[in-house]
Amino acid sequence: MRRSVVHYTLERCIRCMKCVKACPTSALSMDNDRVVIDQQRCINCGRCIMSCHNRGILAQGSTLEDIENYEYTVCLVPGALISHCASLEEAQDLFHAIRMLGFDEVVDITEYTALHLKEVQLMAGENTGDPYIASFCPVITRLVQTSHKSLLDSLLPIKFCSEIAAKDIRRKYPDKHIGIFNLCECESKLEYAKYPYGNPQYEVDHALALTDIFPMIRKNMHKGYDPVSFCKEGLQVCNPQRIIRRDDYLIADGYDKVSTVLDMAEFGLLNEFRLLILYPCFNGCIGGHMLWGNSFLVANNIDALTSQSSKKAADLPFDEIYTDEFSRTDDDSRSFLERTRFFRAVNEEFERLPGYDCSACGMQTCRVMAEEIVKGNRTEDDCRVLKALKEKNE
Amino acid sequence: MDSILHKEYTVVQDDYVNAGKVSSDIKSTLSEIGISPKVLRKIAVASYESEINLIIHAYGGKVFLDVGEDGAVYLVFKDPGPGIPDLEKALTPGWSTASEKARGMGFGAGMGLPNIQRVSDDFHIESSPEGTTLSLVFRSPV
Repeated sequence: MRRSVVHYTLERCIRCMKCVKACPTSALSMDNDRVVIDQQRCINCGRCIMSCHNRGILAQGSTLEDIENYEYTVCLVPGALISHCASLEEAQDLFHAIRMLGFDEVVDITEYTALHLKEVQLMAGENTGDPYIASFCPVITRLVQTSHKSLLDSLLPIKFCSEIAAKDIRRKYPDKHIGIFNLCECESKLEYAKYPYGNPQYEVDHALALTDIFPMIRKNMHKGYDPVSFCKEGLQVCNPQRIIRRDDYLIADGYDKVSTVLDMAEFGLLNEFRLLILYPCFNGCIGGHMLWGNSFLVANNIDALTSQSSKKAADLPFDEIYTDEFSRTDDDSRSFLERTRFFRAVNEEFERLPGYDCSACGMQTCRVMAEEIVKGNRTEDDCRVLKALKEKNE
Repeated sequence: MDSILHKEYTVVQDDYVNAGKVSSDIKSTLSEIGISPKVLRKIAVASYESEINLIIHAYGGKVFLDVGEDGAVYLVFKDPGPGIPDLEKALTPGWSTASEKARGMGFGAGMGLPNIQRVSDDFHIESSPEGTTLSLVFRSPV
């Protein structure tokens, strides 16, 4: 059973159904006046969190209390957060402020992001078949695994950069009881860092949500400067307009566009491309939901910072960054015949429902409602439109 | 053949805006009942090409989807004309008769029928001025 960082608070919920309607994978529904999230369907895109006006749905990370449990602690800082600094001085200030939270070391992960990108480019360069899909974002991986299964083989099997970074850092301190904290800019990375989709080898110990931690970082600002240097290519990965461009790469951002691109890839329409680089967030990772800056302004920061960047991409052998976990999908224990029978029953039920997708029953669409009726969780009487029609006729 | 799942779709001539919707539905339907990703990929490619052919070349048409108990997927694309004048040529890679309008929108770059033939396990086509019927079978282990 998958767990999730997305938490729902009943007291804050006004039952407006905004979150239920916002979900692109129909993972949310309203049951007994409370929101229920189907973990098999959820891809951690964060749209429900964004849609809620009452902070009723939030992503929760670990707390800083865990720092006490380790001999030596390291905080991983993503490029998307660094991009929120307008200058090198601001970045130095930020790193100092983060360290003051109690960490022994603050590490920027752009050199590992750059390594990921370099490897992706190498593999794309040798690609002679269908386009590969670069997975810089766990949402893309989940999206392919759940809704575009025929593209599973195209997903490049490279670990997310926080994981590569954590492993490399752990190796540097073999004798110490080391605690690695990943500061996350969005709920999908938080989810991956906290519950890495069942991956037992995962190297990050704690995932911190930027929304929880930022108020504390802010209190520590303007108190000192730590030396900082980052890697240009890695920083540029945070934004689709800044990342390296080539004629045979297709780069897309925004959930709807990305999902169209994946559809086109399945139809075989993108065969002139060698690589698809996809960002579910508009303007890429700098548009991450836990970040506060306007992503267009922040994109300009990337240009300013990269002119002062000095680090090269990390250098690690391929088996250090390779992963075989992407090809795994959520197994459905039902047989082909059972699934077909279920599908047919849902289709027949769906024909009887009004098809308005009004969500008054608590389900996002009539289709989801039909599934719930066939499963026995609901009855046709729970459909308010059908019920009203019935009462009118009586 | 006993069909355990049957679906029918209508495709409208020159309806470029909705091009691909039928194929998308076929794809998600078959994904939901557990057809293997590798077979799904072939079906996606073939159904999209065939659907586009109904929009660009034919006067629209109908699509029939059937699934056998053994997991075989049957697709039939039926149109009311105008028929393919030279079937042999149409089965040659790279050959295209798509109109300027269609090509301008990125459709009809050739590789239609030969591509469909390549990815399908059974390929049967009959064409006359009264219409064309394309029948495809995809076998899939279940």
